[in-house]
Amino acid sequence: MTRATDRTVARRLDAGATYLVLMVLAVLFAGPLAWLVLAALKKQSEWVAVPIHVLPETPQWSNFTDAFTGINFPAYAMNSLFLSTVYAVLVTLSSAAVGFGFARLKGPGKRPLFLVLLSTMMLPSILTLIPTYVLFSRLGLVNTYWPWVLWGLAASPYLVFLFRQFFAAIPIDLEDAAIIDGCGYGRIFLRIFLPLSRPALITSFLLSFTWIWGDYLAPALLLDIDHTTLSVAITQGYRDPHGDYIPTLQAAAAALYVVPVMVIFLFAQRYFVRSIVTSGVKG
Amino acid sequence: MSEVVIQKAPAPAPTARPATRPVRRRRWSRYSSRTFYLFVSPWVLGFLLLTVVPLGYAFAMSLTNFDGSSSLWRWVGFSNYQELLHDSDAWASLLRTVLYTAIVVPLSVAVALGLAVLLNRRLRAVGLLRTVFFLPSVVPVVATAIMWKLIFNRDSGLLNAILERVGIDAVTWLVDPTAFYALIILTLWGLGAGMVIMLAALQGVPVELEEAALVDGASRWRIFWNVTVPMISPVIFFQVVTGVIMSFQVLVQPLLLAETNSIGAVSTVPPSTHLYMVQVYQEYFANQRFGYGSAMLWVFFLIILIITLLVQRSSRFWVYYEVDRDQSD
Repeated sequence: MTRATDRTVARRLDAGATYLVLMVLAVLFAGPLAWLVLAALKKQSEWVAVPIHVLPETPQWSNFTDAFTGINFPAYAMNSLFLSTVYAVLVTLSSAAVGFGFARLKGPGKRPLFLVLLSTMMLPSILTLIPTYVLFSRLGLVNTYWPWVLWGLAASPYLVFLFRQFFAAIPIDLEDAAIIDGCGYGRIFLRIFLPLSRPALITSFLLSFTWIWGDYLAPALLLDIDHTTLSVAITQGYRDPHGDYIPTLQAAAAALYVVPVMVIFLFAQRYFVRSIVTSGVKG
Repeated sequence: MSEVVIQKAPAPAPTARPATRPVRRRRWSRYSSRTFYLFVSPWVLGFLLLTVVPLGYAFAMSLTNFDGSSSLWRWVGFSNYQELLHDSDAWASLLRTVLYTAIVVPLSVAVALGLAVLLNRRLRAVGLLRTVFFLPSVVPVVATAIMWKLIFNRDSGLLNAILERVGIDAVTWLVDPTAFYALIILTLWGLGAGMVIMLAALQGVPVELEEAALVDGASRWRIFWNVTVPMISPVIFFQVVTGVIMSFQVLVQPLLLAETNSIGAVSTVPPSTHLYMVQVYQEYFANQRFGYGSAMLWVFFLIILIITLLVQRSSRFWVYYEVDRDQSD
């Protein structure tokens, strides 16, 4: 055997071993989701059967329709959709404006302000959520959607950072251009920068949408069962007359609930990748 | 267009009419800085009203015996904090959180890095594999918890089904002490976002460096440890810091993995997953001790602050920055 073929064999073995490791891990990562879908397709009697059935005998598609009627699924989905959209639109616009300010404008105290912004990126939101709940219940903001409007208007440090990085990379010498044209920064932002920042806007919208769609604690604390979102509703409903959970229906509901996030993710994966790579934080 | 400028720029004083250059520049910079504050005001106001005020409010509450509803509260000074010093349940939950963090953070950073190294090679279907590992990290926590409950289910779960095949008796996973491991597995499942960050970092390492080391006869293992890891150490470091902060605040996962999976489930959270935030939550909503819970929140806030400061101070000793940090922004 020559040295060259030796090396090829070694490389093939190496690639084979890599594949083997990756495949095993891929099964571990994808398996749980598969089990969720399988559970969602089983009859209740099949779910509790001993020994365990891995594949449903006949897929129970009716579980999905039952999940839809077991709780007022469409109403909760609308609540989730409404809150997520309102928040995503507001927070995207406000964060874009703040990001523009930090990227292109000058003012005394800009540097310390930006440092504060960066450190609040690390501040756990849970720290402020419970006191916010107490405050908001005193102000009568509980069971309304105003908290999400306020959070949206307040911009998100994470998204501000994203926009700041994006705007800082746009190579236009605006100060001069603005002086020559007599054009204010408001217009520069709206007419030049926002249209240029479509990728950042899409990233920000999709990310913030999935945050609220996936959030559990804020709606659980701030909204009662009539106003709450899908995420809270599916953990509460789907009980039999004894008050026990019906796992197959809950699985079906969870699968339906995940679908929008999955779709967004699969079609816009590069936006998600870009956002976490830019900031180094996982949203 | 020009109206906007006239509205925002300070009205020119009559004497300044033959605007000399310095005057114009000063006026410009005043306009510019005012605009800066206008643009960043949403965040500044939001930060003050929705972060600083709630934190201050929590601090005020922590000095009272407020129970969340009645108006019969009074100031109690720092007695909540004094009680906290001797609260064995709170200390136990804090230690548990430290243990959880000490297991989860190194493991997830290491696995994320390992996966990134494997997926950074030129392999077939590598894009699909990346998606498979990344996907779980975007699954909402509620679905994640429901899913893992179906896997850890004693009688119908996948895990016990597999164990049975190899002759191990069914385990009741979601009670003590195994609930702790279940929580760790659930957490590790979502490490895909970290992998993506590592992958981007690896792709940023100049190929010439590794090639030069290869030419010099270094083994791949040595190149990895002595070239690649130092080059991406800022990213690893950042992953560790954010990982620590994230795992310190874990609350929803133990709540939803518990028996009744609901917001009021705090009483059914088994002791082994009764982390610090669960304890805080219990003091607030199960024991109606808003003052005491607020004191616990503030201690948590200080812990996070200290960790962040310590880590930032120590980073220069073990992180390699190619660019001077002060110039990098």
